[in-house]
Amino acid sequence: MERRELLGRVFEPHPASPGASRYTNAVLRTQNNETVKFYDDLIRGKQCVVNFMYAECHGSCPAVTQTLKTIYRELKDRMNKDLFFYSITTKPEDDTPAALKHYAETRNADLPGWLFLTGSQYDIETIRVRLFGMDHPGLDGDLTLHSSYLRIINDARNSWGMAQAFASNRNILKRIAWQDPPKSYAERVVEARARQIIIEQEVKKYGYRRDIMS
Amino acid sequence: MPKKKAKNRPEIENKTEGTISRRSVLKIGAAAGAAGVLAPKMLTSNEALGFQTIPEPDVRCVNTVPATPSPAHHPFLDEFTAPFPADDHPLNPQPTEFPNLGAGEADRAPHQRWAQFAPAHFTYDMSAQVGLHRFHSDYTDSYIWGFNGKYPAPTVFGKYGKSGIVRFRNNLPTFTTTFGRNEMTIHLHNGHHGSESDGFAGDFFGTGFWKDNLYPNCYAGLDAFGGNGDPKEKMGSFWFHDHRAEFTLNNNVLGMNGMYIVYDQTDPGHEFPSAGSLQLPGFYGVTDFPLILTDKRFCAPTATNPRTEMVNAAGGDKWICNGKIQPALTVRRRKYRFRILNTGPTQSYDITLIKPDGSVGTMTVIATDANFLEHPIPVDAGANAGNSNSTTAPIVPGAIRVSVAERWDVIIDFAEFPAGSRLYLRENRSMFVGNPSPVPLPPGLNIENVLLQFNVVNREPWFPPDTPPIPATLCTYPTLPATDNTWEWQFVLVGGRFRVKRPFDTVGCVFDPDHSAHCILRGTTEEWLINNNIASGWLHPVHIHFEEGRTLKRFVNGVEVPVPPLHSGRRDVYRMEAGQGALIKMQFRDYNGRYLIHCHNMAHEDNFMMVRWDICPDQASLDACIADQQVCELEMKAKESFRDEEVA
Repeated sequence: MERRELLGRVFEPHPASPGASRYTNAVLRTQNNETVKFYDDLIRGKQCVVNFMYAECHGSCPAVTQTLKTIYRELKDRMNKDLFFYSITTKPEDDTPAALKHYAETRNADLPGWLFLTGSQYDIETIRVRLFGMDHPGLDGDLTLHSSYLRIINDARNSWGMAQAFASNRNILKRIAWQDPPKSYAERVVEARARQIIIEQEVKKYGYRRDIMS
Repeated sequence: MPKKKAKNRPEIENKTEGTISRRSVLKIGAAAGAAGVLAPKMLTSNEALGFQTIPEPDVRCVNTVPATPSPAHHPFLDEFTAPFPADDHPLNPQPTEFPNLGAGEADRAPHQRWAQFAPAHFTYDMSAQVGLHRFHSDYTDSYIWGFNGKYPAPTVFGKYGKSGIVRFRNNLPTFTTTFGRNEMTIHLHNGHHGSESDGFAGDFFGTGFWKDNLYPNCYAGLDAFGGNGDPKEKMGSFWFHDHRAEFTLNNNVLGMNGMYIVYDQTDPGHEFPSAGSLQLPGFYGVTDFPLILTDKRFCAPTATNPRTEMVNAAGGDKWICNGKIQPALTVRRRKYRFRILNTGPTQSYDITLIKPDGSVGTMTVIATDANFLEHPIPVDAGANAGNSNSTTAPIVPGAIRVSVAERWDVIIDFAEFPAGSRLYLRENRSMFVGNPSPVPLPPGLNIENVLLQFNVVNREPWFPPDTPPIPATLCTYPTLPATDNTWEWQFVLVGGRFRVKRPFDTVGCVFDPDHSAHCILRGTTEEWLINNNIASGWLHPVHIHFEEGRTLKRFVNGVEVPVPPLHSGRRDVYRMEAGQGALIKMQFRDYNGRYLIHCHNMAHEDNFMMVRWDICPDQASLDACIADQQVCELEMKAKESFRDEEVA
């Protein structure tokens, strides 16, 4: 116990987290050819952003990868500590760990805390429907549709949100922040006071609260 | 202080902070009579104040595929009642123009028109907190989040000319195992007030904070008419609900919504003859009922959880009327007013009145979305069958189609039915009942379709006598000034992603609390074309905050069609079926700030089908806003350029 604490954060899931029963414990392989369990190793107690892609995709995937790279830069301090990116391939038969490694390297996306994952088709399909299902047979069956959604999960808080990868980077950052670990009342009071100063400056300048600074 | 009992300590110690597990409650219950059994426990503030501590659900009641039906119930066991009126009492600390951060108020812009409307005549305290509610007598209690712990929330009353402040407190649990999010921002739908009181979706505040919403209860047109505005802008049936971005559906399913009724001279909240009164049925809870509809799904109690928990479902298999499943209302042989409100979260209702002989009865619509129609419109399957409110889709004859967030004020006259007869409100979809009707139903009516039962009795001497016939003219609408600007919003589905698109956009916008998608100069009038461009069966009840609009034209697939009579009134929710469009006209006045246009299907608004628009006080502020209004599109467009070519 002490050693774990010394090593850094202890990832504790929220007591109500559905755990593997929702996220599954599918065995996936990373771009470094390591074997990971989807819930136990990747989701449990952590905050993460999950998206679906495949290496040969020339549609929205390059744009999404580019976006995640920009977001990564902004969140550098937290990446690989309590925040992780998972890009899961929808074409595992083509995307071997080596192919994903090549994909990540050529796009300068082989970064700590950002895993490219492959596995069995059945497992990946299950994860995709569990995370992005809209209860709509037409939409859920279409592989291309969820390519630009980012699913933001915080298992320690048992909450999840979503961002569209094509929205502005600040919009995505805000939505990731909306799933951050809960803050103490004191911290939130400090934040409210800081925001209030900006609000009142804006009201003086523009006549109403514009929120362009937040 | 009672003496500590050492032997009780181990039982108490393994508790999580602030909660008592059900197991321990049962144990304590088993040790009934053992006085002071709780004494060694450190009291939480709630317990110290004497509030009941309701444990969080420890068994997650989940939506299964295929869905498990809710527990069966016996129809017509419960009584249909109006929600209890909210308690008007002084607030401590006193409301202030600038947020009282020191006392725990959330950050917000200072109240606009504070000097004009403060101090408020009515002050209400609404604490969002955990509560227990029994949706049916056959059920055990369900865990809810309600205002003052109640579902539906206590009804707030206002009066035109008397401003009100509602203090919304976030006393939700800091730790929750439910599907709700313990942050909130309360929108009054569709009040004319400053945006700091409007419940903007990005302005949510967390547990422990509170916020004062100033509801001036004024008519629109303060700038032009002075005083309390233009009385022709009168509205009646408002409702308030949580608007937390991404979690509106969850928090509303948990119960965070309620009615807000505003009276004025024409509709004074009583039936006595008085100057200007239309003398409509108007005794709240006696002859004038809110009818708050929602659908929910429940899990049966289990061995470990005696409660009937709610499922986080976008569509349920139990229709709920004012918090009860298939209730019954005893009505006297006279006119009644029902303020029908669909709180969703996603489904529409097609409501018909079924007479004892099985035929469709007459409901007279007097108001749509809180605004009186100029002339009441009777709806039935016979002579008035043409008064349908559907432009294309087949509709049940004589039905009123209620989309999410729409309000339909109808008057039903029970005078023609003999005492002892029973009438029913019928919904076109079927719910799961699981038990036969205790009384024979009219021919052709299935118990699965019944929303509500009316039992007609003779009027007792103490009961208010019938009101005069409904006046042929209820109000006169204000004349709209010339149009200053036109604008277009398209509700689209781009590659499975809900977006709101402007005609010059190539990809469209998603909800961004920090950027406005449209800037309006205060005091101008605009025509907005709203289009549902999705061809494949998606319905979008489009809601515009702050202002009531007038429908000038309706379109189906770009072809103009006559405006259905029931949609000709002033509205704030525009039902857009696939391929439909509407040209509406609105004035933007009296207040500055950030407001929203969004699809009120709560699953859609949580999925970004919402954009912000701003009212700017002057040209400089407008220019700054316009410089910013391309941002939501530009960044998305830049990213789309990364798409080389689509390869399937």
